[in-house]
Amino acid sequence: MIKKLSVISFLFIFVAIFSLTGIGSAEDEAVSIAMIFPSTIDDMAWSQAMYEGVMSLQEELGDARISNVSYSENLYDAVQVGSAMREYAPNFDIVIAHGAQYQNIVDDVARDFPNTTFAYGTSYNAMHDNVYAYDPHAEEGAYLAGIIAAHVTETGIVGVIGPVQAGDAIKYNTGFMQGVESVDPDIEIRVGYTGSFGDTVAAREMAETQIDEGADVLTGSAQQTVGSIRAAAEAGVYWLSTDIDQSSLAPDTVIASQSLNFKEVVRYMIDARADGIYGGEHLPLSFENGFLTYDFNENLAHLIDDELQALIDQTIEQIISGEITIEIN
Amino acid sequence: MAVSAYLQLAIRILTVAVAVSAPYIFAAIGEMFSQKSGVLNLGVEGIMMLGAFVAFYFAWAHENILLGIILAIFVGGLMGLLMAFVSVTLKAKQGISGIGLFMFGWGVAGTLFRLFVGGVQSISGLQDLNVSGLTDLPYIGRILFSHNILVYLAFLLVPVSWYVLYKTPWGLKVRAVGSTPRAADTMGINVTKIRYQCVILGSMLAGLAGAYLSVAQANMFASDLVAGRGFIAIALVYFGRWKPFGILKGAMLFSVANGFQRWFQISGIAFPYEVTVVFPYVLIIVVLALSHKKFAEPTALTVPYDREFKG
Repeated sequence: MIKKLSVISFLFIFVAIFSLTGIGSAEDEAVSIAMIFPSTIDDMAWSQAMYEGVMSLQEELGDARISNVSYSENLYDAVQVGSAMREYAPNFDIVIAHGAQYQNIVDDVARDFPNTTFAYGTSYNAMHDNVYAYDPHAEEGAYLAGIIAAHVTETGIVGVIGPVQAGDAIKYNTGFMQGVESVDPDIEIRVGYTGSFGDTVAAREMAETQIDEGADVLTGSAQQTVGSIRAAAEAGVYWLSTDIDQSSLAPDTVIASQSLNFKEVVRYMIDARADGIYGGEHLPLSFENGFLTYDFNENLAHLIDDELQALIDQTIEQIISGEITIEIN
Repeated sequence: MAVSAYLQLAIRILTVAVAVSAPYIFAAIGEMFSQKSGVLNLGVEGIMMLGAFVAFYFAWAHENILLGIILAIFVGGLMGLLMAFVSVTLKAKQGISGIGLFMFGWGVAGTLFRLFVGGVQSISGLQDLNVSGLTDLPYIGRILFSHNILVYLAFLLVPVSWYVLYKTPWGLKVRAVGSTPRAADTMGINVTKIRYQCVILGSMLAGLAGAYLSVAQANMFASDLVAGRGFIAIALVYFGRWKPFGILKGAMLFSVANGFQRWFQISGIAFPYEVTVVFPYVLIIVVLALSHKKFAEPTALTVPYDREFKG
C-alpha cells in the first residue's frame, strides 16, 4: 500500500515538475495581455476595435506567443479601474487601459510595476519607460469621410452626431468638417452632441432630428452611434463610420469605415518587449504607419466613382506626405 | 425663417415629442401607482432594461413583437413581485431595495444580451399606424396620427389611470393605503395586498416602457439602452405631483424641450452645447422649484406598514 502510494506520489511529483518547467519555458516567449474597457467588447466601436485586434493577433500568433488574454468591461470610475489594474499588473505582461480617462491611474500604477507594459489612449503622453500612449489620428479618416460626404450629399446638408466635445470627437469632427470644406465650402455641416457616449436612443433621436432638418449624409463617433446608424438605415440616408467597420449593421447605409488597426499596435508592443523595450513611446495610429485603415463597403461601391476614388487615393498620399495637414483647434 | 417655417419646425418637434414621451408616460404612471400606495420603487431603470431586452429578444429571435411586449410586461411584473416582497413583506428600506433591483435588472439584461444575442443587432420594430387620410390633416395630422399603437396606449393610459385612481373603490383604497395605512387597515383594507398590486402594476408598466424603447423606438438593443430614462420617469412623478395629467404634462414638456435643444444644436447658433444638452433637465427642475402648489406626496411614502407597531 505504502509502496503503491509512493509510486503514485513520485509520478505526481515528476509530472508536476515536468509541467512546471514546461510553463516556465513557454513564459519566456509568450506574453499575457489584460485589457480594461470603458464600454463593452461588442460595442461596435472603440472597445470592440481593440478587443478584436488582440483576439485576431492571438489567433494569428497562437498560444505560444500570446498565452492568456483577460479583460474587464464597463469600468469608468477611478476606484474600480485602479483596483482592476493593480490586480492585472503583477500577473500580466501587457495591461491595456483602453481610454484617455485612465491616464492618471496608469501613471500611478505603472510606477509600481516596472516589468509590466502599460498602454492607454487616446494620448501622446507616455509618461514612464513602461507606458505606451497610443493616439489614433481620427482626423485623417474623418477628412476622407468629409470628402465622400461632400460628394454624396444631394441636399447640401451633412450631419455629425457627437458624444461630447472632447478628445477623439474633436479630432474626428474637425477632420470631417475640413474634408467637406475641401470639396465644397458651401455645404452646410451641422453638429449635434448627445452629452453621452452610450445613450443609443439619444443618438438615434439626434440622427432623426438631423434627417428631419435635411441632412442626407451622417457621421459620428462613440459606441452610441449604432442608434444613429439604425435611424439612417430606416430613413434611407448614408452613414460614414469610424473606429471599426460598422457596415454589417446596415449594409446599404454605411459607405465606408475608418478602422483603428489595434492588432498592429499590440504586435508592435509584443515585438518591442521581446527586445527588452517595455514602453516609453507615443504610438500614433495613422495612414503613414498603417495602424489606421480606410475600408469601403462593396454594396455601395457605386457611390464612389473613379474620379472620387482617385481623389481619395491622392488625399491619403497627401496626408501621409504631409501635404495635407489637419489643424485640430 | 418665415413664420410658416417656424410652424413646420414646431410641428416636427411636437410630432417627435409625442412619440418619445410614451415610455416616460408608461414608466411614470406605473411609478405613480406604486408611490400612491406608499412604495418608492427606484428599480424602474433596471426593470426597463430587462423589459427592453425581453421584448427585443422575442422580436429579434422569433420575429414576434407582440409576444415580446407581453413577456416584457410579465417579466416587469415578476420584478415588481420581487420588489414588493423585499420592501412590503420584509419591510426593507425602499431606497436601498430599489437601487438593488435597478442593479439586478441592469446586470441580468446585459448578461442575457451577451449570452443570447452576443452583439448589436437590429429589428424592423413596431410600425406606425399612419391612419390614411388623418395623417394628412393640416397641422395636427402628423402630430396626432403618425405613431405606433403603443403611443396611443400611453396617452389613453393617462385618463384611464386618473379614473381608476380617483373614481373607483380600488383607487380610493390605494390612496388610503398610501396616506394613512393604519386607518385603511382599521377599515378592513388589506394594506399588504394593495401595495403588492400597485408595485406589480407599476413594474409591469416599467417593463412595457422598456419594451417601447427597444422595439418601438431604437429598434435595437444595446448595452445601457435605457440610459437613465427610468430615473427621469421617477422625477416626472414628483413633477406631476402624483397625478396622471401632471405626469403627462411633465413628459411632454421634457420631450418638447429635448426636441428643441436638438434642433437648437444643429441650427448652428453659436452656443455652448453643454448648456443646450442639459436644458430639458434644468427646465424640469426650475418648473418644479417655482411652482408653489402644496406637495401632494403620499404621506406614507417609503414607510413600511407594521400592523403590530404600537406607536
